[in-house]
Amino acid sequence: MARPGPGLSQLDREATGGPYARWRRGFGLADGAVLALVVGACLLLGWRAGMALDYRWNFAPVWAFVVRYDTERGWVANLLLQGLFTTLRVSFWAAIIAAILGVLMGVARTSRLLLPRLIAGFYVETIRNIPPLVFIFVFYFFVTSQILPALGVEDWIRRQPPESLWWIAALFGPPQQAAGVIAAILCLGLFEGAYVTEIVRAGIQSIAPGQSEAARALGLSRAGTLRLVVLPQAIGRTVPPLAGQAVSLVKDSSIISLVSIQDLAFLGTEVSASTNRVFETWIVVALLYFIVCGALSLIASRLERRFAAHNR
Amino acid sequence: MNENDKPALSRRFLAPAAGSAAAFGALVFGARSASAQGADARATLAGTSMIEEVKRRNTLRVGMSTFVPWAFRNKTGELIGYEIDVANRLAQDLGVRAEFIPTAWDGIVPALLAGRFDAIIGGMSITPARNLSANFTAAYSATGVDMAASKRLADGMTTIEAYNRPNVTLTGRRGSSGITAVQRLMPRATIRQFDDDAQSILEVVNGRAHAMVGSVPRPLFASLDNPEALFRPFAQPLVRQADAMAVRKSDPDALNFLDNWIMLRQLDGWLEERQAYWFGAREWRDQVPG
Repeated sequence: MARPGPGLSQLDREATGGPYARWRRGFGLADGAVLALVVGACLLLGWRAGMALDYRWNFAPVWAFVVRYDTERGWVANLLLQGLFTTLRVSFWAAIIAAILGVLMGVARTSRLLLPRLIAGFYVETIRNIPPLVFIFVFYFFVTSQILPALGVEDWIRRQPPESLWWIAALFGPPQQAAGVIAAILCLGLFEGAYVTEIVRAGIQSIAPGQSEAARALGLSRAGTLRLVVLPQAIGRTVPPLAGQAVSLVKDSSIISLVSIQDLAFLGTEVSASTNRVFETWIVVALLYFIVCGALSLIASRLERRFAAHNR
Repeated sequence: MNENDKPALSRRFLAPAAGSAAAFGALVFGARSASAQGADARATLAGTSMIEEVKRRNTLRVGMSTFVPWAFRNKTGELIGYEIDVANRLAQDLGVRAEFIPTAWDGIVPALLAGRFDAIIGGMSITPARNLSANFTAAYSATGVDMAASKRLADGMTTIEAYNRPNVTLTGRRGSSGITAVQRLMPRATIRQFDDDAQSILEVVNGRAHAMVGSVPRPLFASLDNPEALFRPFAQPLVRQADAMAVRKSDPDALNFLDNWIMLRQLDGWLEERQAYWFGAREWRDQVPG
């Protein structure tokens, strides 16, 4: 593949700091001072939380809501872990919808024709200029009260035989809640799709114009130019920011708890209300989100490195 | 010319013909409508009643919110509580299965109107504001608004006047009738609202608010759980209230069925017995973790 014009050069990767910096120097005095300061601040915070708050910490009831021991089935996932599974399911499907929508709209946004540009522009600007919380309230109640009943999703799910119910449960969670989950997936996918659109648009526009001019000169059609020359290069460049967007989608998915989808954040409120252990519950919920998003970030940075090497 | 003339000619004959046909139709169907339309309306109303939908679906979808001891989670993560018992018994008497849809309390009425569930059975107090957007059944449990106050901040404050001051902070659950009650009784106090009772109790236990308000018996339970931090300033509830089920408007069949079900379960003492179990001496405590 041709070397991309303005992009990640060798120079960027060798500069100190930044995402591509390598561990080079030994552990210095300044590092030790910073580390001591941070550890000290954490200890002070912990001591304040323990002493000044006059709070009896008790994590036991909250852990019992993560996993529990069942006399027949052994260790099984309890509410919080089930909520995490819902979060992951919703994020997975929303990511797919956002990817499809984002690529279509991203291509439309760079189109030569006015109409696709207007449609994609309207979509992106509408969603990016509404807070996620407001968007989810408006759109979710519209989807659940108008679109889904018109399609008959809920009745359709209830009519399914047990074996297809098993599939629905595996893909969307408990069948009786699947209609709400599908509505939430649509909302989240539509929301994140706007950000994916901008990433795809930036990727396409970052390809040097000479590339498509050369392809046109060789006799490729416009569609052929896009498919064979521009998109393959653009995809390489958009994968790192897209992976980052996927991580933030998992975190953003917590807004669906506002419309009572049984995800990790919503079941967190249920558990804290049932156990009266408010701080402990939210610390455990934060830990679960951190583990998932941290793992995804790690994968994202691996991808980033691989595509950076590939693009060289 | 000719092609243009033809339709114009036929239109000249067609228009009066169509007009008289329409008049005739209106006469025939108009005469029919008085009785038939009434029957149609009744059939539509009966067919779309919540009770009919529930029987067709074989499931009663119940909207509720976590709210100790009305509806909360036991050790295995299942829902238990007074309203869970009520809804399960109601479903059993209807010959269907109950399905619970936990919903944030401040959005529960819009969710009912959007059709996410058939009824709210979750310890909802009747208020005129709520009643404007949804219908309530007959009341089936009498409750009230009670208070649990901080021993450190609100020591010796046992009158409504003592709490009706701007430097007094009260906490409660967003959208609950307790909040409405303190807004009326203690309008000068600073009110902070939370999504559930646990958070508003925690603020008082941590000494960041003077008192929390909630439905009877939640403040009592809170003061029993935190005897060194909380006390109950009033022996009697601040306000008396009645809890009922909420359903969508314009459904007389559902209201009639639910009202009569409540009357029968009051007469046979079942509701009273369940209230004694859940609101009394907390025999259910070993079902809850921690």
